[in-house]
Amino acid sequence: MTLITIFLLACITFLTRYLFLHPKLPLRIGPKMESFLSYSAPAVLTAIWVPIIFVKDNNLDISFTNPYLLAATVAVIVSKKTNSIYFTLAASVSVFILLRVLL
Amino acid sequence: MSFNRKNAYLKMMQKGLLDMMPLNLAVIPWGILCGSLAIQRDFSILEALLMPLVVYAGAVQLVVIELMHDNAPLATILFTAFIISSRHFLYGLALRDKLKNLPLKWRGSLGFLLTDELFALSGDKKSYKGKLRLVYALFAGGSFYVSWLIWNVIGIAAGSYLPDLTNLGLDFAIAVTFIALVIPSIVNLSLLVTVCVAGVLSVIFKLLNWELGLVLASVIAMYCGYITSRIQAKMQTVKINKIITRDKEQTENVS
Repeated sequence: MTLITIFLLACITFLTRYLFLHPKLPLRIGPKMESFLSYSAPAVLTAIWVPIIFVKDNNLDISFTNPYLLAATVAVIVSKKTNSIYFTLAASVSVFILLRVLL
Repeated sequence: MSFNRKNAYLKMMQKGLLDMMPLNLAVIPWGILCGSLAIQRDFSILEALLMPLVVYAGAVQLVVIELMHDNAPLATILFTAFIISSRHFLYGLALRDKLKNLPLKWRGSLGFLLTDELFALSGDKKSYKGKLRLVYALFAGGSFYVSWLIWNVIGIAAGSYLPDLTNLGLDFAIAVTFIALVIPSIVNLSLLVTVCVAGVLSVIFKLLNWELGLVLASVIAMYCGYITSRIQAKMQTVKINKIITRDKEQTENVS
């Protein structure tokens, strides 16, 4: 039973990724649609990361005791200054771990 | 194949691996969490291995493992996975014109590998154009797949020895990776608008517990970004027209 479920799950994740790459699909993307879609990466990625930082146990947490918030602030500043994923990861994850230990 | 061409392919493979490397490393905690959680929620080793191998989606794995452990109805499990995965429709749409005319082997494999991370590296206008860039994407996406598998296997192997990792804050690594990808990409007003709207709406929808909040927030944010760029373009044209009429008037006055 579990194996069948896993197989169906695989079909779903593949379908959502592949569907619009299929040539037979009767769908044309005009220049306006293309321009609209060019914003998908920043929009989706932001809609994933922002709630991780601000929402804790279904509540908005904008306090100094929220280690996510402080470490994410460090991440935003470091990535703006250095443009480096490595530096951003190193700086903010160490701040995050430190805060988790201290708070 | 000439030496130069071969060299170019090697360069692209290398670049794909190197560009994806920070993301491969950033998902270590998340991958170990997914692998160990499957074991801790009574999945067999085969089932736990199949999750990263064929489902290959971190957020889906994490949520679905809990649902399956709680004996949720099959329809609930599949529907939840579909909702979480539905953001990929946007990626497919955005890359449609670049990939739809490729042979099935490229479409199929790149489609399978089309994660948030690979899509984040696909922003360039020229991405996926020409075989060299396809090889680049295949190695970037492929290395992420292999890494994801390795971290999951470590989680599976260590599963019963590890404590419950779900509340350790390992999701921070995901958040910070996306921060590092998004923040440097904000180079104009329309992108800033997109990011701000996506951030505010996603939090509101999350607090309202809307299942489709992620996709809805994204689509509205994309629209706001698009409209901003249109308004800016229009204002630019108005400005240029004003300058042109002024110049005309001046030349007429002179003559």
